[in-house]
Amino acid sequence: MRIALTLAAGLLLLSLAFTWWQQLPRGEPVELTPTLRGQPEYCLTCHGDVPQISAAHALATFGCVSCHGGERLALDADVAHSSMRGGANPSDLALVEDSCGGGDCHSGSEADDRHHIQRVLTSVQSTYAGAIASMRYSFGAQPDLEARYGIAAVSDEETSTGIHSLAAFEPWNESHPLVQEFGENCLTCHLNATPREGEAFARSTGCASCHLTGEHTFSTAIPYAQCNACHNRGNYDLRTMTFVERGDEAVKRVDDYYQPIAQFTRCEYTLDCIDCHTRAEVMGDGDLHADKQSIQYIQCKTCHGTLTELPHTRTLTDPDDLAFKLAFLNPVVELQLGDTILVTGSDEPLWNTRVLPDGTYEMTGKASKQVFAFRPVMGTACEQKPDEQQSQYCHECHAVER
Amino acid sequence: MRPGFFEHLHPPTIAAAQARWSHTLGAGGSAIFLMLVLALTGMLEMFYYVPNPEQAALSVQRIAYHVPFGALTRNLHYWAAQLLLVVAVVHLLRVVFTAAYSGKRRFNYLLGLGLFVLVILLDFTGYILRWDADVCWPLVTGTNLLKAIPWIGDSLYRIAGGGGEACSTALVRFYTWHIFGLSIFVIILGVWHAFRVRRDGGIAAPPPALRESKKRISRRELLRREALAVLMLSALLILLAAFLPAPLAPAMTDPPTIGEEARAPWFFLWVQQMLRWGDPFILGVLIPLALLAVLALIPYVFPKPADGDIGRWLPRSGRAAQVVVTLIFLGVLTLTLLTLTSA
Repeated sequence: MRIALTLAAGLLLLSLAFTWWQQLPRGEPVELTPTLRGQPEYCLTCHGDVPQISAAHALATFGCVSCHGGERLALDADVAHSSMRGGANPSDLALVEDSCGGGDCHSGSEADDRHHIQRVLTSVQSTYAGAIASMRYSFGAQPDLEARYGIAAVSDEETSTGIHSLAAFEPWNESHPLVQEFGENCLTCHLNATPREGEAFARSTGCASCHLTGEHTFSTAIPYAQCNACHNRGNYDLRTMTFVERGDEAVKRVDDYYQPIAQFTRCEYTLDCIDCHTRAEVMGDGDLHADKQSIQYIQCKTCHGTLTELPHTRTLTDPDDLAFKLAFLNPVVELQLGDTILVTGSDEPLWNTRVLPDGTYEMTGKASKQVFAFRPVMGTACEQKPDEQQSQYCHECHAVER
Repeated sequence: MRPGFFEHLHPPTIAAAQARWSHTLGAGGSAIFLMLVLALTGMLEMFYYVPNPEQAALSVQRIAYHVPFGALTRNLHYWAAQLLLVVAVVHLLRVVFTAAYSGKRRFNYLLGLGLFVLVILLDFTGYILRWDADVCWPLVTGTNLLKAIPWIGDSLYRIAGGGGEACSTALVRFYTWHIFGLSIFVIILGVWHAFRVRRDGGIAAPPPALRESKKRISRRELLRREALAVLMLSALLILLAAFLPAPLAPAMTDPPTIGEEARAPWFFLWVQQMLRWGDPFILGVLIPLALLAVLALIPYVFPKPADGDIGRWLPRSGRAAQVVVTLIFLGVLTLTLLTLTSA
């Protein structure tokens, strides 16, 4: 009995010693208490190498959990990640309200210009309403081109376009096989869609699809290559309704740039898309639109004017002018009170432009930071007409061919 | 030599045949030790546990990941609780299979059965205190069973769960039941049970005249055997706690999301299986209560085992009780396995 007791005591001591050793802390957990919520989180224990996503989303303010979810105290990867929102992409539009929303963030009031989520959800980039209507009309599923369906059901009570709601497009309820094919193959790259399978497409929906310009970098300086990820990825074969990936590898920018046509003017391939296309065009203006044409309104004359009219301008006298906010978020120019900038026909500031004292203009690329000088057409030999402002008319004289 | 404190808790000598491991299986003593471990580790957990719906799961994570030796303490509490259920079942089977429930021990058998029920309830309430995403479904199901009882169901539901939506209001109730309401009865019944073991003449054995051997062991020897059991059980507990951490899931959300694998804790899987078949009151309340009643009635309605058979393994005179208990045990085991395989 004495021997048994001694052995058992030895066994207990051994297991105690082992457990003591096993329970010793391996490295100090890294605590972060973001000021926004004031709750400690330990994500940085493992993820200390992830760069801050943007200056506007400072790590010290937001931390990780307010956007990504997850168990903030857990030090075990499985438990810590178990309640994460959306895995690689918390900004997926199905989750965006929890991840990015809230009155002080991106689902606030229109008056505060904090209705980003509402704008995106109703934008044609999310709804794809025009293409769906056009497809259904082409194959006899609807009598006209009126927008009835979006990728997901969406409504807009305060619409100014007359479209109050779109129903969810359900391809399996369609009778024409090509409309069904269209539904299955062509709806994966719009912001409110379920992304295609695979790591490469994991962040191709929601806010991330445009604003995630690096591995973990959010930006409003969106280079054309980001837009190309969807807009120049290939094309649809309309006979089979299948997607044909682009096979070539562009060497020159002129070959790489997205153009539905083969002719373009220099500004169309040297600038980035967002240098001309405004936030309302790209991200929506909060109203439901029938198709791309009804929201896209930037034309050559927006910057160059017509033979009889100069482009619209605004001298910045209000420190709360939207131009200052946008320039603050992407500081490629130093805007100052008293500066005169170009504005669009609906008064959106082209905040990266400036009217120079000699009456010419300059634009700083939002992503490239390159400075471009340009001038109005008034007083030049240009033969453009005010009602012929689509790019094809400029191409008659200024075209470069691909 | 005058006996020391621990020696004093034991009779001066006990029959050698009934003091063997192969007779007692060490189950009753192990149960007492595990309860002490549970009290100690539970008290340590109370220093950090916050019984508040918003903070409970987070405080469990704090214990599991940040408090020095918190994970070990929590794992020990978890494994002691699981083992306590196992040894309680073993103890019950041993008592029935050695006809140790009869005669003057009838009442202590009931006390033991009461302790068994309390231990199950303590295990369930403790499981709920994790307050994470995995416990919401069992909590709702468990408390809804109370509601299914005619007449008094709603009152019972309010008493157990605080009356609101279980996954919002039940935490403080379950905490109080776990820490105090149930534990105080375990202490009372446990002390009473141990006292009655002494008062009823120690481990059940045939009357002296019918014993095959007159050999007895001293309380010092008994104490050594207990010490040996405690050392080995401690080593087992510590190794289990070191290698197999107690389960943890993401914090419960409001409103709660119920995972795809909604599953009762292992000791209630057999009830979960029955609930799939129909009426919750009959299958989830009446049948378990009926089984408990059958167990409670064993010493009172089954033929009394012969005096010479008391304290002997599987005596013929206790056959009916042995068969009934075996059937109940196998039934519960089968239902448990069915749930595990059908998920």
